[in-house]
Amino acid sequence: MSQVLHYIEKKIITSLRNNPKQSIETLAKSTSLSSDQVRRGIEWLRLKNLANVNESKTVILSLGKNGLEAFEKGLPERQLLELLKNGSKKLQDLQQDLGDIFGPAIGLARKNNWIETTNDQISLKNYSSELPGEKTLKKIGNTKVSKNEIDEDDLSSILKRPDFIVETIIKSQEISLTDNASSIEISEDSTGAIDVEAKVPEVFVARTHPLKDTIDEIREIFVTLGFSEIIGSMTQSSFWNFDALFTPQDHPARELQDTFYLDGIHAKKIGTSNQIRKVSESHKIGWHYTWDINEARKMVLRTHTTCITIKHLADNKPDEARVFSVGRVFRNEKVSYKHLVEFNQIEGVVVGKNATLRDLMGIQREFYKRIGITKIKFWPTFFPYTEPSLQTIVYNDRLEKWVELFGMGIFRPEVTKPLGIDKSVLAWGGGIERIAMLKYGLNDVREFYNNNLNWLRSASKCQ
Amino acid sequence: MPVVELSYTRLQKLIRKVSKKQISDSLPFLGLDIESEDGDLVRVEYSPNRPDYSTDFGIALGLEGLLGIKTGAIKLSIKKSNSFQIYVKPKVSKIRPYITGIIAKNGKIDDKTIKQLMVMQEDLHFGIGRKRKKSSIGIHDLDTISFPLTYTTTNRDHKFIPLNSHDEFSISEILKNTDVGKNYGKILGNSSEVPIIIDSNQNTISFPPIINAAVTTVTPKTKNIFVEVTGTNKEDIENMLSVVATILQNAGFSLMNLKISGSNNSSPKLEPKKMTIASNVINNTLGLTLTTSKILSSLKKSRLDAISKGKNIVCTVPPYRFDIFGPMDLIEEVALGYGIQNLEPKLSPSQTVGQVNPVSTKLKSLSLTMIGLGYLEALNSSLTSKRTLYEMTNREPKKIISVLDSKSQEHTILRDSILPGLLENLSRNIHESYPQKLFETGTVFSEGMPIQEKTSFAVINAHRDANFTEIKSILQSALKTGFNLEIQTKTSSNPLFEYGRSASVIINGQSVGIIGEINSKTIENYKIRVPVVGFEISLSGLIFD
Repeated sequence: MSQVLHYIEKKIITSLRNNPKQSIETLAKSTSLSSDQVRRGIEWLRLKNLANVNESKTVILSLGKNGLEAFEKGLPERQLLELLKNGSKKLQDLQQDLGDIFGPAIGLARKNNWIETTNDQISLKNYSSELPGEKTLKKIGNTKVSKNEIDEDDLSSILKRPDFIVETIIKSQEISLTDNASSIEISEDSTGAIDVEAKVPEVFVARTHPLKDTIDEIREIFVTLGFSEIIGSMTQSSFWNFDALFTPQDHPARELQDTFYLDGIHAKKIGTSNQIRKVSESHKIGWHYTWDINEARKMVLRTHTTCITIKHLADNKPDEARVFSVGRVFRNEKVSYKHLVEFNQIEGVVVGKNATLRDLMGIQREFYKRIGITKIKFWPTFFPYTEPSLQTIVYNDRLEKWVELFGMGIFRPEVTKPLGIDKSVLAWGGGIERIAMLKYGLNDVREFYNNNLNWLRSASKCQ
Repeated sequence: MPVVELSYTRLQKLIRKVSKKQISDSLPFLGLDIESEDGDLVRVEYSPNRPDYSTDFGIALGLEGLLGIKTGAIKLSIKKSNSFQIYVKPKVSKIRPYITGIIAKNGKIDDKTIKQLMVMQEDLHFGIGRKRKKSSIGIHDLDTISFPLTYTTTNRDHKFIPLNSHDEFSISEILKNTDVGKNYGKILGNSSEVPIIIDSNQNTISFPPIINAAVTTVTPKTKNIFVEVTGTNKEDIENMLSVVATILQNAGFSLMNLKISGSNNSSPKLEPKKMTIASNVINNTLGLTLTTSKILSSLKKSRLDAISKGKNIVCTVPPYRFDIFGPMDLIEEVALGYGIQNLEPKLSPSQTVGQVNPVSTKLKSLSLTMIGLGYLEALNSSLTSKRTLYEMTNREPKKIISVLDSKSQEHTILRDSILPGLLENLSRNIHESYPQKLFETGTVFSEGMPIQEKTSFAVINAHRDANFTEIKSILQSALKTGFNLEIQTKTSSNPLFEYGRSASVIINGQSVGIIGEINSKTIENYKIRVPVVGFEISLSGLIFD
């Protein structure tokens, strides 16, 4: 590495060769530079490993407003003891004499057993010529004193009192040359050149969370495809999370080991009486069992965002709509590099004209194209609430394999009819972390929620 | 999703004239996801609504259809017979009221087939049997049984030698000491009587839904099989039986019927059902213009029978396809038979104009404002722990909202505040360079009707000189720049903060949050070596509803 030195650096090195350990102030004096220039020069030298900076801290104590008052008039408890020195007094009289400080003074005196109370009379029990904290008050007075000189025990009794003690931290730096610096030649020709090839300190850019960036990107894409965003609660009744989606009450997905139920919390109102009656009938006919409203009242952490879109459709019954919802969903799983208990899902629906299975596939293909995925396939799959049901499989170049992404389908009539939706509804959805993992090249999904600064600070904004 | 292990060579024997590649390329288009492949073995995930795919016999049927080798519906040919009868006693009606079954003769069973049958049985139990509660199957060696059988109940002292044992045990002992007894015994509740199947020699055949008797065990020497299904609903047990019957017929057995009578029970029908759908509904749903003959051939490839009647298609659905509820399911069968790979995605113009939700827009501006102030965005779970929320931070727990039976200790209660999570984040980053400045926006939860969800905004800053003034400046600028809101701070105490360095945040006379220097005890708990300051305010009701 070249060792071009700035004239400021040269001056500092020369001065330190004469006087090896100096503060910024003495260096400023000896070099006739401003202290800002000295600081800058030292920073450059430090990065070139030519100078050492040893930092030390001194705490300086002084008295605050209340401390000064106590220094002049005595501590509140001292003032109380003095009043009682010549015999007991009435509580009310003391209150009048002491004013604001009465409360704290009497409290402390009681706690320390200096006074006793009989009826309304307060009398002295123990008198002490030096109370805790008085030594410190006396020592500091109107001056500034280094904390090292003060008895810590005595200080602690008044340190926490508001506005008693003011702590000022003074940092001092001692600058010296490293071994490298002693062998450096300092030429006299001053050109003002600096070492432009030298390494510079790293600064970190503040940024939005990478997962949030992915969510924003996906949100934008669907908005441009004509979808409007709707939002809804993360806590849902089982009715909207399961029953309205034709998931029978004895379905394995509804068990405690898959779904988070909220302990002892039940929804009072879950839907209109018409919605409840029709959903109940649809379950009876489709799944041959007696539907239980109490099961539907149990509150869960939503296992998908489909509950938000289906409720929107049931409440609004649009003839023509494109809506989506993006947010956190929950599964009672063991956390691993593949699984989280809480992750983000996007879920959208199309109602109206052009609502065919091929349109649904077209929307998916366009979405993937916009996030940069062009190799996609559709495979049949099964979801309890859609028919036909498909999933997208996309090719990941880094992993060199096909991975499953969004699921999709057309809502079953067993779902839509009881809720009074008579149009066919296309629905699709899936996890966002999976897409973000592909984007950021992560193998462990937990990284998104570790808030590991090393990763957050280094993840590139554009992937 | 359940998984089944298949062998390519076995499938090739079943289907004939088909290559390994043809099989592996076609599996996904039957809805079977290849999970792993190892030489001749391939493990596939199948949907719980297709229990016929739990064996290679069922998958072979599907592949033959899709590849056009054999198409159309499988017909069960069940020979009439009077030799096999089951009498049902009224006593069972309160416990497990229905039984059905079938006889399968002259088949060959090797170890692999036995294994497949066992897997199928377990998958049927778990899925449509709802862990044996709704329905369960027993598969027996027919030649060890003397008909007629009686389906009745017995008391818990009744003894027999259960499957996989050499000794006699009482019902109570089986329920107490065996895995199946412990897992499924609760289905029987506390009743003193339990269901039992007994043959004409008074031998115990089965104790449904728990275990068979050892004497009827199926081995590679078994030629003739008796299958019984018991349960709570007649339709469900016949559905389950139809899957087993179809698989056994395809495994080379000849089926014979069983006569069942007594207490509302009757012999199984196992008949196909007819369903009608209009061709234009199929085309309108899929977005295609298929001719009637193409629709018919597609349905046949999905192993259904279909004929056209004017503008309608009349479908014959075999009994094992009870996943087919109505017309929508037939549309899917057309799509599968046609080939999902042949459906060309189509991008039609949108009839609507899209819009971001205003809440998202405002949260986004807030994020950008915080970035401008030099803060990094963090993300934490809403489902967290008492340790993070209360124990480490000295905060007072209010009404805690917890989840039942979480598999993870770190995720048991819903957060009522974001700041504690950010503090935990700092503790995991003590070796990273300072200053560390983080913010997070997210949902916090509290009780009420039945649960209130509010959006909260929290900011934290840790470095050698972090202090109240600095963080108040940040709060002031963020809200002024972001939303033109003026803040005030009013002295207040909060266990999260240091005494005398803690305030409430007031906007338009309303307290909306807290701000202060984090309590030194908390900082110590987290082994953080620099001062930390922070604030948290509720955005709900402030910048949106």
